[in-house]
Amino acid sequence: MTTPLPPGIQLEKVDDRIMTLNVGPQHPGSGHMRLIIKVDGDYIVSCDPDPGYVHRGEEKMAEYRNYIQNIPHLERPVIHDSCNVLYPYCLAVEELLGIEVPERAKYIRVIASELNRCIYTLYWLAIYGIFLGHSTMFMWPAGDRELFIDLLEAMSGARVTHAYLVPGGVRNDLPANFEERCLRQVDYFEKRLKEYQAIFYKNPLLISRTEGTGILSRTDAIRLGTTGSVLRASGVDFDLRKKEPYDVYENLDFQTVVMKEGDSYARSYIPYLEMFESCRIIRDAIRKMPKSGSVRTKLKPNPKGGNDEVYKRVESGRGSLGYYIVSNNRPEPYRVKISVGSFRNLICMPYLLKGELLGNMPSVYWGLNYWPVEADR
Amino acid sequence: MSTAGGIIRALNSGVKHLAIRRFTLRYPEQKLKFVGDGFQFNPETGVGIAGLRGRHILYHEHCTGCQLCAVACEGIAEAIGMVKVNETWKQNKKAIMPQIDYGKCVFCGLCVDACPFYALYMTNDYELSSFTKSALIYTPAQLAIKPKISQDVEIKIDDRGATHG
Repeated sequence: MTTPLPPGIQLEKVDDRIMTLNVGPQHPGSGHMRLIIKVDGDYIVSCDPDPGYVHRGEEKMAEYRNYIQNIPHLERPVIHDSCNVLYPYCLAVEELLGIEVPERAKYIRVIASELNRCIYTLYWLAIYGIFLGHSTMFMWPAGDRELFIDLLEAMSGARVTHAYLVPGGVRNDLPANFEERCLRQVDYFEKRLKEYQAIFYKNPLLISRTEGTGILSRTDAIRLGTTGSVLRASGVDFDLRKKEPYDVYENLDFQTVVMKEGDSYARSYIPYLEMFESCRIIRDAIRKMPKSGSVRTKLKPNPKGGNDEVYKRVESGRGSLGYYIVSNNRPEPYRVKISVGSFRNLICMPYLLKGELLGNMPSVYWGLNYWPVEADR
Repeated sequence: MSTAGGIIRALNSGVKHLAIRRFTLRYPEQKLKFVGDGFQFNPETGVGIAGLRGRHILYHEHCTGCQLCAVACEGIAEAIGMVKVNETWKQNKKAIMPQIDYGKCVFCGLCVDACPFYALYMTNDYELSSFTKSALIYTPAQLAIKPKISQDVEIKIDDRGATHG
């Protein structure tokens, strides 16, 4: 039995306490994407991620272009990771058309895609830093990224959208002295990575903001179908480079990085540790690469695929990235379906953000290793 | 590790960089040196020659007007159109040559891969901005000019860090 309220005074209802916030869609850090967040005070009650603002119709566009003309537009969803985005497409088309790839080209592809993985991860790390208000961590990776961009520019001829991997190998051979220059820059980069540790990953401010937030357990990570660094941060040892080695990854010496915590800190730390592994792969690939030989199998003009379908996937910067291509005896594919890591990791947003502080939203969001444009493709 | 100690260590690692030479490339004064004379392609082996994919160069004495570059660009950027030229070459009976719209070109270089007659290559020239859209359309005569470029700065890496000089 409650006492009647004085006239003109109303009790606050539970629904009145909940406020809806629209985060985005003009997102300052990355592509356009909206999070509809309901907050009670400072705590998040529910979160509804709303992608779809940068839909480009890549899959439909691919049906009207032949296998070579598809190359430039298929790398557009993630231009920072363009070699890895094209990798599964090239593997799939090679199987479809029955093309053999020269041994040297396989190693060059691995070097290009590992350099590109570093470029992507550094860009991601730069935005992670600025999301958490750490502007030095924006400047340093953005500067060191230039080193790798210069390397890939010497290799492929373009700064960001390389169009370097093609079905049948790579577009051109390595320039003179590339191996030496690459090794020198990789050595320097490993030294720089250790400095990142001191200023960012061992920084008590970062640890207090990310440790223990947005915990994703091992079983949940598997049930939600996450992939890439998010899955490995939850203690699942799954890396396609080890589990389903493509090209020459089985000959190369590297490890999968796994952490058990499953919190925001682990999700931000795994890509960082993987850059060390990328450096190892590059060094090993340069040592084991045949010193000369062809790098591209000559294709017939306008090659036709048979009545066949093929699915190939690789480990990109954001987890497993697969291409499903159906062909029907025509120079164009009948259907291209792209399965991307970004979209699969986006699904765990509502689970991770429930009950979190609103201030932890940026670290959880960007820790998912998510790229809005790739999710919409 | 105490919080204060951790913050001091983090600050210290940043402060060290005050004594290190700057990494930034001062662009309009300095220009980065590229490998070779731009992206080229050898149609015999089907393999390219590494180089920057910048503005194209068209060798009028090799171009046959076969339109393969324009066909390759269809569905990519549609930047290449074939235009009539007032020149007489015995290999080019139709007297048509590619004209490239750099407002559309994505610099993928697949037109260079498509050219079987050693006529279309790319150069190190990447400074193509203009005040009008029509100035971005390069006629065959403009494409034949070899660009003058002075790019000399290279990255130097030593024990004290990386610098562009």
